[in-house]
Amino acid sequence: MKTLSGALLGALLMAGAGSAAAQQLTPSPTLDAIKARGHLECGVHLGLPGFSFANDKGEWSGLDVDYCRALAAAVLGDATKVKFTPTSVQQRWPVLQSGQVDVLSRNTTITFSRNASLGVDFQGINFYEGQTFIVRTAAGAKEPKDLDGATVCVAAGSTEEKNAADWFRERNMKVTIVNFQKNDDAITAYDSGRCDAYTAGVGALAGQRIKLKAPNDNLIMTQLISKDPQGPVTRYGDERFQAVVRWVLNGMITAEELGVTSANVDEMKTKSQSAEVRRLLGVDGGFGAMLGLPDDWMYKAIKQVGNYGESYERTVGQGSPLKLARGYNQLWNKGGLLFSPSFQ
Amino acid sequence: MTASLRVWRERLFAGPVSSVVTALIVAAIVAIGWPLLRWAVLDATFSGATRNDCTGGGACWVFVRARFGQFMYGLYPIDQRWRIDLFAVIALVWVALLFVRSLPYRAWVGLGALVILPPLGVWLLGGGFGLQPVETRQWGGLTLTIFLAVYAGLIAVPLGILLALGRQSRLPAVRLISIIFIEFWRGVPIIAVIFLASLLLPLIMPAGADVDRLARAVIGLAFVISAYMAEAVRGGLQALPTGQHEAAKALGLSYWKSTGFIVLPQALRISLPAMTNEFIALFKNTTLVLVVSILDLLGIAQASLADPNWVGMNMEAYAFTGLVYWLICFALSRWSKSLETAGGAPRGH
Repeated sequence: MKTLSGALLGALLMAGAGSAAAQQLTPSPTLDAIKARGHLECGVHLGLPGFSFANDKGEWSGLDVDYCRALAAAVLGDATKVKFTPTSVQQRWPVLQSGQVDVLSRNTTITFSRNASLGVDFQGINFYEGQTFIVRTAAGAKEPKDLDGATVCVAAGSTEEKNAADWFRERNMKVTIVNFQKNDDAITAYDSGRCDAYTAGVGALAGQRIKLKAPNDNLIMTQLISKDPQGPVTRYGDERFQAVVRWVLNGMITAEELGVTSANVDEMKTKSQSAEVRRLLGVDGGFGAMLGLPDDWMYKAIKQVGNYGESYERTVGQGSPLKLARGYNQLWNKGGLLFSPSFQ
Repeated sequence: MTASLRVWRERLFAGPVSSVVTALIVAAIVAIGWPLLRWAVLDATFSGATRNDCTGGGACWVFVRARFGQFMYGLYPIDQRWRIDLFAVIALVWVALLFVRSLPYRAWVGLGALVILPPLGVWLLGGGFGLQPVETRQWGGLTLTIFLAVYAGLIAVPLGILLALGRQSRLPAVRLISIIFIEFWRGVPIIAVIFLASLLLPLIMPAGADVDRLARAVIGLAFVISAYMAEAVRGGLQALPTGQHEAAKALGLSYWKSTGFIVLPQALRISLPAMTNEFIALFKNTTLVLVVSILDLLGIAQASLADPNWVGMNMEAYAFTGLVYWLICFALSRWSKSLETAGGAPRGH
């Protein structure tokens, strides 16, 4: 039944019959439940600098948290109508599978086996995470390939150690790897000058850097040596809700590309002549209705939370203590990997 | 004055060996204590608003000050925190009254505390019936740690006593059930129980029949601790001379009367140190709820380390939480000691 109506919907959409399709929406128990209870349930990390944390006032903030706020704004029209469930590494899958949360936005790496065997679907990428190096700016190294002859501090037996050793070996680079018992010891050794570099994921390095004696004298390389893309996760089933989750993220990225910000969104809505801006903000096209949402769904999300770039800079970027460069988390036309399908 | 000095000299410097040992111990205390004192007090920063105010090179207690509210109340709504304060005051005053030996109707006041305080606490903290509801996911910090320990303890102590009696029972079915219960829960790691209670139950239970996440943790903890409590009480029961049972029987007392008036009061007094021990263990074991992301004192301290404004305050966070746990456990052990002496516990057995 479900697939039949899904196919029907698809056919209607291709025919461009937007308003007709709105009356034949695929049932979405998740969206119905969110609307009935009046808030979104979002699973987040217990505490990861810049991505998900409770501030001094006890409010959740961070890049992953912002995404959930935007989703709440799109579905319910109010970015504050979201409740956060902090989850541990072991807990995140059961809380999603058992329906305790609607969506998991918890710096979770997309992998084949998770997708195939856990009954969960990944709905896009909100952070291109990967392993890289932190070096002293004065040393002049800008990319991992500049590290020939350097000394790198790592925690013994970690994935990072293996990744780094393999990467250097494949390129015949002479890099001395110094092992430490724990990550903290390795970063302390780096800070005291024992090594030229320390290696970890970009997100983790951003949190580590502000612990250093002189954070601003250290550079986190933007080139990665491993791929750990992360994004919002839903459970299998309920394709319409999955589409909403996917397109809210796409919408935030597209808004940045089109120059729509929380500050100018009102002006853009009334004055913009760009067809895609008008569709994104619900002036034309009735795109919200096709998903069973109000037409101003993305307008609300951008107005209340901002576009992807605003959210990034506020939480992990230049507007935050982490001051993490955009790196791969930059728009495709500005040298990054963010490449959202268009609102057509 | 000179007499006491002489006593100390005799104790600490009685001979060459004891003099050397004393000197070594003093040197060790100074070697460890001095850097600690410098870090925690002398070089520490106590006032300010951000990490930039911490320039002394020692501990940055500004962080603990900024987060103190969260350490105490977790993410409980700030304008509702008075409810926790109110309940703490009521509970403390009520319990303090019980220490007044001349209090009229003291037994009734004690019974009242047991009957009224626990539901009152749930109402004041959780809300409803005229108060703004506050979900348990917003509870946290020291409030939650104490809540977990006290409520799990309130279930575990009576259950443990019943199990201990059951294990001694002459009815085979009662004895068998008690033994199975005790041995099962004593053999399972608490961390596994908490995992199962919070992760597996929601998967197998029908939707809608959801038991609160915190309640599941309390019950899981209570079951495990009740098994340990039962064994502590059993120690007391077995230490009691059989003459006590026989005398009670000879007076014509029924099982429940002899247990309630003769056996248990004496057995509990004997097992009080062991039970306190279990309770202190329970208090510290509550931190295990961290694995299911319930933000108790330790959990909220760890979570606050993720705030980019306070990243790297690990030492301060753990030193502070460690001190709070130690103070509470120490107070508990002193209290139990005072109960032992006040109750005239049989000593020298």
